[in-house]
Amino acid sequence: MRALLPALSLSVSVLLALFPPAGRAADAPLSEVVRETAAPAAVTGLQARDYLDNNDRGDKIELSWCLSADDGAGALSVLEYRVWRSQAPDEQGELVATLEPGTAAHVDTGVTPGVAYYYRVEAFDGALSSPAATAGPAVGRINLFQTSRLPVLVLSLAFFAMVIWFTRLAARGTNLFVRRIPGLNAVEEAVGRATEMGRPVLYVPGIGEIDDIQTIASLTILSHVAKIAAEYETPLIVPTARSVVMSAAEEVVKEAYAEAGHPDNYNPDNIRYLSDAQFAFAGAVSGIMMRERPAANLYLGAFWAESLLFAETGFETKAIQVAGTANVSQLPFFVTACDYTLLGEELYAASAYLSREPKLLGGLKGSDWMKVITICIIVAGVVLTALGVPQFGRWFFTQ
Amino acid sequence: MNMTLIGTTLAALLTIAVYSFLYKDNPFYKFAEHLVVGVSAGYYLVIYYYNFIDPTVVSPVFRLRIGGDAILLGGVDWWMALIPGLLGLILYARFFPKIGWVSRWALGIYVGGYSGLGIAPVMQARVLDQIRGGALPVHALHTGQGWTNLLLVVGLLGTLTYFFFSLKHKGVLGGLARIGIVFIMVGFGASFGYTVMSRVSLLIGRMNFLLHDWLRIV
Amino acid sequence: MNRLGKFLQIDRRWIFLAILIAVLAPFIWPMGLPIVITKPVQDLYNAVDAIPPNGEPLFISIDYSPSTVPELDPMALAILRHAFSKDIRVAVLTLDPAGYGLAERALEAVAAEFGKERHKDYVFLGFQPGISAVVLGMGINIRNVFPEDAYGTPLSEIPMMEGIRNYDQIPLLITLSGTAVVEAWVIYAHQPYDAQIGAGVTAVMATDYYPFLDTGQLVGMLGGMRGAAEYETLIDRHDAGVRGMDSQSVIHILIIVLIVVGNIAYFGSRKRAPETAGGDAAA
Repeated sequence: MRALLPALSLSVSVLLALFPPAGRAADAPLSEVVRETAAPAAVTGLQARDYLDNNDRGDKIELSWCLSADDGAGALSVLEYRVWRSQAPDEQGELVATLEPGTAAHVDTGVTPGVAYYYRVEAFDGALSSPAATAGPAVGRINLFQTSRLPVLVLSLAFFAMVIWFTRLAARGTNLFVRRIPGLNAVEEAVGRATEMGRPVLYVPGIGEIDDIQTIASLTILSHVAKIAAEYETPLIVPTARSVVMSAAEEVVKEAYAEAGHPDNYNPDNIRYLSDAQFAFAGAVSGIMMRERPAANLYLGAFWAESLLFAETGFETKAIQVAGTANVSQLPFFVTACDYTLLGEELYAASAYLSREPKLLGGLKGSDWMKVITICIIVAGVVLTALGVPQFGRWFFTQ
Repeated sequence: MNMTLIGTTLAALLTIAVYSFLYKDNPFYKFAEHLVVGVSAGYYLVIYYYNFIDPTVVSPVFRLRIGGDAILLGGVDWWMALIPGLLGLILYARFFPKIGWVSRWALGIYVGGYSGLGIAPVMQARVLDQIRGGALPVHALHTGQGWTNLLLVVGLLGTLTYFFFSLKHKGVLGGLARIGIVFIMVGFGASFGYTVMSRVSLLIGRMNFLLHDWLRIV
Repeated sequence: MNRLGKFLQIDRRWIFLAILIAVLAPFIWPMGLPIVITKPVQDLYNAVDAIPPNGEPLFISIDYSPSTVPELDPMALAILRHAFSKDIRVAVLTLDPAGYGLAERALEAVAAEFGKERHKDYVFLGFQPGISAVVLGMGINIRNVFPEDAYGTPLSEIPMMEGIRNYDQIPLLITLSGTAVVEAWVIYAHQPYDAQIGAGVTAVMATDYYPFLDTGQLVGMLGGMRGAAEYETLIDRHDAGVRGMDSQSVIHILIIVLIVVGNIAYFGSRKRAPETAGGDAAA
């Protein structure tokens, strides 16, 4: 009895298949009959336009449309949308995308800017495609200006304006106040101590090239140190790692000695080019420290891994040590082993303070006021965030 | 001849030669140091030529090919390869005093181009995005994150104040600058600790090489 | 001189010997100290894991030289193993000439391990100098900067590079570097082109890049050998990074002990002898 019902239903199915009711295809259920003769409904409202984004290189075109009426409709359910692109209105062109059902937009990347493209979008249900919706011509255009980058422009212009303004003020002779860097006192004290002990001063202007801004700042401070050393008649040794820097140092020291009124005390043998190789230079300078026992070691300029070697060897010789570099990764070593360290921008501030050179002063004052603007913006941002106003951060969120 | 074993053994012996400096400076150390300088100079030259100079300048200009594509003599691509190549050669003029001034033109284009390309992205990455990151919610002091944010903002403002050179560090400004230097020094301490960790890692790496790759005892 | 002062004069070669023993002992007697995964490493792992298999390639820029191999090579190997185990395609390039040999070695070794095929599953683009010029150029078209791979095959003939024009088609780019190259990737790739950048850096440079992590300019970061060890733990491997962690911990403890003892000796000897070397100029 249990087997009767399944057997009965099987028999009916076979009979229906062999002798289908009138009006239907011989061997197809209803949905397949309909599918053979009707494609899914087309998409509507297809639009193609240049894609505007934060970083528009003109190589994207944005498409949007209304979904096919048969999207998710069951019987004629769309399986995918197909996007075709061509450069002529009556060509189908190449298939550039197949998208899942429910997708009503697409960004076509990789188009050539300035070229007109025509698009067709079809809904496909697995067997048939809908009539194509067409759109075009659409042309990708490179934007002249990314409005999302406006904060960058505003801040950059403000910074340039301040630097130029202060440089001009300095060039006209206006007295621009720069506070005295405490490190300069330490430098002068070091030279004084060396004079008392009757031992030389060692000045290492870093291992950067002559066009490195730290080397330029260092040579300005060297001029000041050389003048004091000339007045006190203390020998000054300047080892360098670059031949061009050696030539510049020779000029600076010679001029300083002449200005101090002791041109005969200038000894060119004390300005030495040792080696371009980093650790060979470090070894040679360590050798000078061990042999000639300077009482004051001044390391001012661009340093890298050899900084700790200098500072340690100098500490061993019990010299007073003052250092300054803008390479932040080396500052911890100098701070640990030296008596005083000029941190980062203090090196530039010291050279601007000593030389009163308009460009250096202008740059320093400009960056100072940039810091004021930064502090004000951060404080405003903190306060506004606390008050629940998020728009502030969005203005800076330029992505 | 197992070349891998020979190469590894050679590398191990050179490692030991360099470390022998810790005891005393000696000829083995000096040999290893000079060897690395010479080999790296030669290696760099070959890499630069075959990876850069040839595909970017020599191939387009003389063989009229960029990658797999042929280019036209006198076409845009050809000029775009030739002109920068010539500018690069002009930089060598600095070694000849009579025509040395020409190299400044090439250097000017190079420095100016890089500066111009860099100004906006650096302003955005190093200033604007950091300002955005600094405007933190500091009012939620019932949470740990609130205190972290407050500490970060105070440290940030103190550090900026410390590097302000247009006014003397007196009064409130002086107080804020002193807070700043404390944060700077704590930062240096962390940086120093990380650096020690880094140097120790280099030693461990070499020991790993000697024990694992060479002697195979671990 | 008192005993404390004598301690400060100890021949530094004894300290070198102590450190050597501290390095070697955990290799021979491993302790298996636990490795805790930190958020920056987890974030980078998740970003790599999210890349669909056999699709757009993960780009790895091996921008380091032999001097930083102990810290960065384990990272490169771990990331490559992770990618290949998930059938993620990989494109490797280098902005450091010394990185060429290191990149090739790492890529070929791991590819052989997983039976991957060149040009189908991975490609080695080679070296290009100029750093920022290369990074910017890749934002327009990769073929402008790398017309061929490292072995002279034009990119147009490499199946896995079909359709890969610029950063829009790169799901993630990881740079491994001991220098400021990471900053160049952030400034010239992420800022103008929205490229997703991850980083593996030496411990020395890690502190420089934490600000980029906080602001989301970096997707994730591995710092030093410890970062490599964490990544290896995430992919269930026990390689050079993990092997080195026991030694790292022991040496750190030794250094802390030396610092504490050194400070006690320094201040203790100062109490008895106020005249000290080098001066104490106010900081």
